[in-house]
Amino acid sequence: MLELKPQPLATVSPPIPKLLQEGYYVRFTDQWPLTLPHVKGKTFQIEKTNQVPYDITRIIPGGNYCDVDMSNATGGENIYPENTKTLYETILGFKPGNYLVHFYIPAGEYVHRLEQAGMVPNVASATLRYLGARKPEDSPYDDKRIFTYSVKDLEPLLLRVLVDNGVAFEKIVLGLVVNKCYLKQITPTAERLARAKKIDYYTELRW
Amino acid sequence: MPSIVVDMTAANMNLVTEKRNAKVKPSLIMVDNVDALADSQLVFQDLFTTDASIVAATGVAVAGGAQAVNRLRINVSIDACVSLRDELKDVKFLGGARVDRTVLGVPTLDAGCHVTLGYDLE
Repeated sequence: MLELKPQPLATVSPPIPKLLQEGYYVRFTDQWPLTLPHVKGKTFQIEKTNQVPYDITRIIPGGNYCDVDMSNATGGENIYPENTKTLYETILGFKPGNYLVHFYIPAGEYVHRLEQAGMVPNVASATLRYLGARKPEDSPYDDKRIFTYSVKDLEPLLLRVLVDNGVAFEKIVLGLVVNKCYLKQITPTAERLARAKKIDYYTELRW
Repeated sequence: MPSIVVDMTAANMNLVTEKRNAKVKPSLIMVDNVDALADSQLVFQDLFTTDASIVAATGVAVAGGAQAVNRLRINVSIDACVSLRDELKDVKFLGGARVDRTVLGVPTLDAGCHVTLGYDLE
Protein backbone atom coordinates (compact mmCIF):
# COMPACT_ATOMS: atom_id res chain seq x y z
CA MET A 1 0.00 0.00 0.00
CA LEU A 2 3.09 2.22 -0.04
CA GLU A 3 5.59 1.96 -2.88
CA LEU A 4 8.54 3.93 -4.17
CA LYS A 5 8.83 3.19 -7.87
CA PRO A 6 12.46 3.46 -8.93
CA GLN A 7 13.56 5.10 -12.15
CA PRO A 8 13.11 2.57 -14.98
CA LEU A 9 16.14 0.80 -16.43
CA ALA A 10 14.56 0.81 -19.85
CA THR A 11 11.55 2.24 -21.58
CA VAL A 12 8.91 0.29 -23.44
CA SER A 13 6.82 1.36 -26.38
CA PRO A 14 3.93 1.93 -26.28
CA PRO A 15 4.43 3.25 -22.74
CA ILE A 16 2.67 1.68 -19.77
CA PRO A 17 0.28 4.02 -17.93
CA LYS A 18 1.59 5.13 -14.58
CA LEU A 19 -1.77 5.04 -12.84
CA LEU A 20 -4.47 2.41 -12.55
CA GLN A 21 -6.83 2.57 -15.50
CA GLU A 22 -10.40 1.55 -16.26
CA GLY A 23 -10.63 -2.20 -16.76
CA TYR A 24 -7.58 -2.98 -14.63
CA TYR A 25 -7.83 -5.58 -11.89
CA VAL A 26 -6.75 -5.08 -8.30
CA ARG A 27 -6.50 -7.71 -5.57
CA PHE A 28 -6.34 -7.06 -1.84
CA THR A 29 -4.42 -9.73 0.03
CA ASP A 30 -5.83 -11.86 2.83
CA GLN A 31 -3.68 -9.90 5.27
CA TRP A 32 -6.12 -7.01 5.20
CA PRO A 33 -7.97 -7.05 8.55
CA LEU A 34 -11.52 -8.15 9.34
CA THR A 35 -12.24 -4.54 10.21
CA LEU A 36 -12.00 -3.77 6.50
CA PRO A 37 -14.38 -6.46 5.18
CA HIS A 38 -15.17 -4.48 2.04
CA VAL A 39 -11.72 -5.25 0.61
CA LYS A 40 -10.15 -8.10 2.61
CA GLY A 41 -9.09 -10.87 0.24
CA LYS A 42 -11.26 -9.53 -2.58
CA THR A 43 -10.58 -8.91 -6.25
CA PHE A 44 -12.04 -5.98 -8.15
CA GLN A 45 -12.16 -4.54 -11.62
CA ILE A 46 -11.87 -0.78 -11.96
CA GLU A 47 -14.99 0.61 -13.56
CA LYS A 48 -13.99 4.26 -13.77
CA THR A 49 -11.27 6.63 -12.65
CA ASN A 50 -10.85 10.33 -12.00
CA GLN A 51 -7.56 12.09 -11.25
CA VAL A 52 -7.63 14.88 -8.69
CA PRO A 53 -4.48 16.98 -8.11
CA TYR A 54 -3.87 18.62 -4.74
CA ASP A 55 -0.95 20.35 -3.00
CA ILE A 56 -0.21 20.35 0.72
CA THR A 57 2.10 23.09 1.98
CA ARG A 58 3.88 23.84 5.23
CA ILE A 59 6.50 26.41 6.25
CA ILE A 60 8.45 25.50 9.38
CA PRO A 61 11.82 26.41 10.93
CA GLY A 62 15.00 24.42 10.37
CA GLY A 63 15.46 21.58 12.88
CA ASN A 64 11.70 21.28 13.37
CA TYR A 65 9.18 18.79 12.08
CA CYS A 66 5.44 18.51 11.58
CA ASP A 67 3.15 15.57 10.96
CA VAL A 68 0.82 15.49 7.97
CA ASP A 69 -2.06 13.08 8.49
CA MET A 70 -3.42 11.90 5.15
CA SER A 71 -6.59 10.38 6.64
CA ASN A 72 -10.02 11.88 7.16
CA ALA A 73 -9.55 12.09 10.93
CA THR A 74 -9.95 15.44 12.67
CA GLY A 75 -6.98 17.57 11.66
CA GLY A 76 -6.19 15.26 8.76
CA GLU A 77 -5.85 16.24 5.13
CA ASN A 78 -8.92 14.18 4.12
CA ILE A 79 -7.17 12.21 1.39
CA TYR A 80 -9.01 8.94 2.16
CA PRO A 81 -12.14 7.61 0.45
CA GLU A 82 -15.52 7.68 2.16
CA ASN A 83 -17.15 5.10 -0.10
CA THR A 84 -16.47 1.39 0.41
CA LYS A 85 -16.36 0.90 -3.38
CA THR A 86 -13.63 3.48 -3.88
CA LEU A 87 -9.88 2.95 -3.93
CA TYR A 88 -7.60 5.96 -3.85
CA GLU A 89 -4.29 5.49 -5.62
CA THR A 90 -2.36 8.56 -4.50
CA ILE A 91 0.95 9.53 -6.04
CA LEU A 92 3.16 11.86 -4.07
CA GLY A 93 6.01 14.12 -5.18
CA PHE A 94 8.00 16.87 -3.51
CA LYS A 95 9.10 20.31 -4.62
CA PRO A 96 12.82 20.91 -3.98
CA GLY A 97 13.93 21.90 -0.49
CA ASN A 98 16.05 20.97 2.49
CA TYR A 99 13.67 18.47 4.06
CA LEU A 100 13.14 14.77 4.74
CA VAL A 101 9.93 12.76 4.94
CA HIS A 102 9.33 9.72 7.14
CA PHE A 103 6.26 7.51 6.78
CA TYR A 104 4.28 6.08 9.66
CA ILE A 105 1.17 3.90 9.62
CA PRO A 106 -0.53 4.03 12.00
CA ALA A 107 0.93 6.82 14.14
CA GLY A 108 4.14 5.79 15.88
CA GLU A 109 4.84 2.75 13.67
CA TYR A 110 7.57 3.27 11.09
CA VAL A 111 7.13 1.95 7.58
CA HIS A 112 10.86 1.87 6.86
CA ARG A 113 13.19 0.36 9.45
CA LEU A 114 16.03 -2.12 9.54
CA GLU A 115 16.23 -5.32 11.53
CA GLN A 116 18.95 -4.43 14.02
CA ALA A 117 17.52 -3.10 17.28
CA GLY A 118 17.44 0.68 17.34
CA MET A 119 17.74 1.06 13.57
CA VAL A 120 14.52 3.01 13.31
CA PRO A 121 13.89 6.50 11.99
CA ASN A 122 14.36 9.19 14.61
CA VAL A 123 14.14 12.86 13.75
CA ALA A 124 15.85 13.76 17.05
CA SER A 125 18.99 11.86 16.06
CA ALA A 126 21.68 13.48 13.92
CA THR A 127 22.18 10.17 12.09
CA LEU A 128 18.91 8.22 12.32
CA ARG A 129 16.97 11.11 10.85
CA TYR A 130 18.29 9.92 7.49
CA LEU A 131 17.22 6.31 8.01
CA GLY A 132 14.19 5.49 5.92
CA ALA A 133 13.71 9.12 4.96
CA ARG A 134 12.62 10.15 1.50
CA LYS A 135 14.18 13.28 0.04
CA PRO A 136 12.64 15.59 -2.54
CA GLU A 137 14.90 14.18 -5.26
CA ASP A 138 13.56 10.65 -4.60
CA SER A 139 10.14 11.65 -5.91
CA PRO A 140 10.20 14.96 -7.78
CA TYR A 141 7.04 17.02 -8.01
CA ASP A 142 6.96 16.64 -11.80
CA ASP A 143 7.82 12.92 -11.79
CA LYS A 144 6.05 11.50 -8.78
CA ARG A 145 7.28 8.07 -7.74
CA ILE A 146 5.73 7.41 -4.34
CA PHE A 147 2.45 5.53 -4.59
CA THR A 148 0.02 4.95 -1.74
CA TYR A 149 -3.26 3.05 -1.73
CA SER A 150 -6.08 3.83 0.65
CA VAL A 151 -9.61 2.59 1.25
CA LYS A 152 -12.34 3.72 3.58
CA ASP A 153 -11.46 3.35 7.27
CA LEU A 154 -7.81 2.45 6.69
CA GLU A 155 -5.61 3.51 9.60
CA PRO A 156 -4.06 6.97 9.19
CA LEU A 157 -0.92 7.30 7.10
CA LEU A 158 1.31 9.98 8.63
CA LEU A 159 4.08 11.88 6.89
CA ARG A 160 6.60 13.26 9.36
CA VAL A 161 8.26 16.16 7.55
CA LEU A 162 11.57 17.33 9.02
CA VAL A 163 13.31 20.49 7.86
CA ASP A 164 16.95 19.56 8.16
CA ASN A 165 19.53 21.83 9.75
CA GLY A 166 21.21 24.41 7.53
CA VAL A 167 18.30 26.70 6.76
CA ALA A 168 16.36 29.09 8.96
CA PHE A 169 13.03 28.18 7.38
CA GLU A 170 11.83 25.97 4.58
CA LYS A 171 8.69 25.73 2.51
CA ILE A 172 7.51 22.16 2.00
CA VAL A 173 5.25 21.43 -0.94
CA LEU A 174 3.79 17.93 -1.16
CA GLY A 175 2.23 17.44 -4.58
CA LEU A 176 -0.49 14.82 -4.82
CA VAL A 177 -2.52 13.32 -7.59
CA VAL A 178 -5.38 11.23 -6.23
CA ASN A 179 -6.46 8.63 -8.78
CA LYS A 180 -9.99 7.85 -7.68
CA CYS A 181 -10.89 4.31 -8.73
CA TYR A 182 -14.47 3.03 -8.58
CA LEU A 183 -14.39 -0.70 -7.91
CA LYS A 184 -16.63 -3.55 -8.99
CA GLN A 185 -16.08 -6.86 -7.21
CA ILE A 186 -15.45 -9.77 -9.55
CA THR A 187 -14.96 -13.48 -9.24
CA PRO A 188 -11.24 -14.10 -9.46
CA THR A 189 -9.98 -16.45 -12.14
CA ALA A 190 -6.40 -17.55 -12.63
CA GLU A 191 -6.05 -15.21 -15.59
CA ARG A 192 -7.52 -12.24 -13.72
CA LEU A 193 -5.40 -12.93 -10.65
CA ALA A 194 -2.28 -13.07 -12.76
CA ARG A 195 -3.05 -9.66 -14.24
CA ALA A 196 -4.32 -8.03 -11.04
CA LYS A 197 -2.28 -5.51 -9.14
CA LYS A 198 -1.71 -6.91 -5.67
CA ILE A 199 -2.33 -4.39 -2.91
CA ASP A 200 -0.64 -5.37 0.33
CA TYR A 201 -1.76 -4.39 3.78
CA TYR A 202 0.78 -2.19 5.53
CA THR A 203 1.74 -4.93 7.99
CA GLU A 204 3.18 -6.84 5.04
CA LEU A 205 5.74 -4.08 4.57
CA ARG A 206 7.24 -4.85 8.01
CA TRP A 207 8.79 -8.15 8.91
CA MET B 1 8.32 35.36 -16.11
CA PRO B 2 6.20 38.15 -14.59
CA SER B 3 7.65 41.44 -13.46
CA ILE B 4 6.51 44.42 -11.45
CA VAL B 5 7.67 48.02 -11.09
CA VAL B 6 7.00 50.03 -7.95
CA ASP B 7 7.79 53.63 -7.09
CA MET B 8 8.78 53.98 -3.46
CA THR B 9 5.77 56.13 -2.56
CA ALA B 10 5.96 54.54 0.89
CA ALA B 11 8.95 53.39 2.87
CA ASN B 12 7.71 49.78 2.51
CA MET B 13 6.28 48.54 -0.79
CA ASN B 14 4.86 45.11 -1.44
CA LEU B 15 6.14 43.47 -4.61
CA VAL B 16 4.64 39.96 -4.69
CA THR B 17 2.04 38.27 -2.50
CA GLU B 18 2.65 34.72 -1.37
CA LYS B 19 1.68 31.86 -3.65
CA ARG B 20 1.04 29.12 -1.16
CA ASN B 21 2.38 26.19 -3.17
CA ALA B 22 5.43 27.89 -4.70
CA LYS B 23 8.51 29.92 -3.86
CA VAL B 24 9.28 33.24 -5.53
CA LYS B 25 12.56 33.06 -7.46
CA PRO B 26 13.75 36.54 -8.45
CA SER B 27 15.48 36.68 -11.80
CA LEU B 28 15.96 40.44 -12.06
CA ILE B 29 16.13 43.31 -9.64
CA MET B 30 16.65 46.79 -11.00
CA VAL B 31 16.78 49.91 -8.88
CA ASP B 32 16.55 53.23 -10.68
CA ASN B 33 17.61 55.92 -8.22
CA VAL B 34 18.30 58.62 -10.81
CA ASP B 35 15.23 60.69 -9.91
CA ALA B 36 15.55 60.12 -6.16
CA LEU B 37 16.52 62.85 -3.73
CA ALA B 38 19.04 60.80 -1.73
CA ASP B 39 21.06 57.59 -1.66
CA SER B 40 18.79 54.59 -1.03
CA GLN B 41 19.35 51.61 1.20
CA LEU B 42 16.99 48.87 0.11
CA VAL B 43 16.20 45.63 1.91
CA PHE B 44 14.16 42.92 0.21
CA GLN B 45 12.11 41.06 2.76
CA ASP B 46 10.53 37.63 2.63
CA LEU B 47 7.13 37.70 4.37
CA PHE B 48 5.43 34.46 5.38
CA THR B 49 3.65 32.72 8.22
CA THR B 50 5.04 29.54 9.69
CA ASP B 51 2.91 26.54 10.62
CA ALA B 52 2.92 24.91 14.02
CA SER B 53 5.84 22.51 14.41
CA ILE B 54 7.91 20.59 16.93
CA VAL B 55 11.60 21.05 17.70
CA ALA B 56 13.14 17.73 16.67
CA ALA B 57 15.89 17.79 19.29
CA THR B 58 13.68 18.55 22.28
CA GLY B 59 10.12 17.67 21.33
CA VAL B 60 8.95 21.14 22.29
CA ALA B 61 5.95 22.39 20.35
CA VAL B 62 6.31 25.71 18.54
CA ALA B 63 3.35 27.80 17.47
CA GLY B 64 3.28 29.29 14.00
CA GLY B 65 3.67 33.00 13.45
CA ALA B 66 4.38 35.80 11.01
CA GLN B 67 8.00 36.14 9.90
CA ALA B 68 9.97 38.77 8.00
CA VAL B 69 13.38 37.60 6.80
CA ASN B 70 15.90 39.82 5.03
CA ARG B 71 16.89 38.18 1.74
CA LEU B 72 18.87 40.94 0.03
CA ARG B 73 20.31 44.35 0.96
CA ILE B 74 21.60 46.87 -1.56
CA ASN B 75 22.77 50.48 -1.43
CA VAL B 76 22.14 52.61 -4.50
CA SER B 77 23.65 56.05 -4.83
CA ILE B 78 21.70 59.04 -5.99
CA ASP B 79 21.77 59.35 -9.80
CA ALA B 80 22.62 55.62 -10.10
CA CYS B 81 20.74 52.77 -11.75
CA VAL B 82 21.66 49.22 -10.69
CA SER B 83 20.51 45.86 -11.96
CA LEU B 84 21.13 42.38 -10.56
CA ARG B 85 20.71 39.09 -12.40
CA ASP B 86 23.40 36.47 -11.76
CA GLU B 87 23.72 37.56 -8.15
CA LEU B 88 20.14 36.42 -7.59
CA LYS B 89 20.56 32.76 -8.48
CA ASP B 90 20.62 31.66 -4.84
CA VAL B 91 17.94 34.04 -3.59
CA LYS B 92 14.43 32.70 -2.99
CA PHE B 93 11.41 33.96 -1.13
CA LEU B 94 9.28 31.39 0.70
CA GLY B 95 6.37 33.80 0.92
CA GLY B 96 5.68 37.28 -0.37
CA ALA B 97 8.32 39.87 -1.28
CA ARG B 98 8.51 43.42 0.03
CA VAL B 99 11.10 46.15 -0.39
CA ASP B 100 11.93 48.53 2.46
CA ARG B 101 13.75 51.80 1.77
CA THR B 102 15.79 53.76 4.28
CA VAL B 103 18.00 56.84 4.04
CA LEU B 104 20.76 56.92 6.65
CA GLY B 105 18.82 54.30 8.63
CA VAL B 106 15.52 56.18 8.59
CA PRO B 107 12.53 54.74 6.69
CA THR B 108 11.93 57.19 3.88
CA LEU B 109 9.58 57.30 0.93
CA ASP B 110 10.71 58.75 -2.39
CA ALA B 111 8.59 58.38 -5.52
CA GLY B 112 11.73 59.01 -7.57
CA CYS B 113 13.19 55.67 -6.51
CA HIS B 114 11.87 52.96 -8.85
CA VAL B 115 12.27 49.24 -8.13
CA THR B 116 11.70 46.53 -10.75
CA LEU B 117 11.41 42.87 -9.82
CA GLY B 118 11.29 40.06 -12.37
CA TYR B 119 10.57 36.63 -10.95
CA ASP B 120 9.49 33.06 -11.47
CA LEU B 121 7.26 30.92 -9.30
CA GLU B 122 8.73 27.51 -8.62
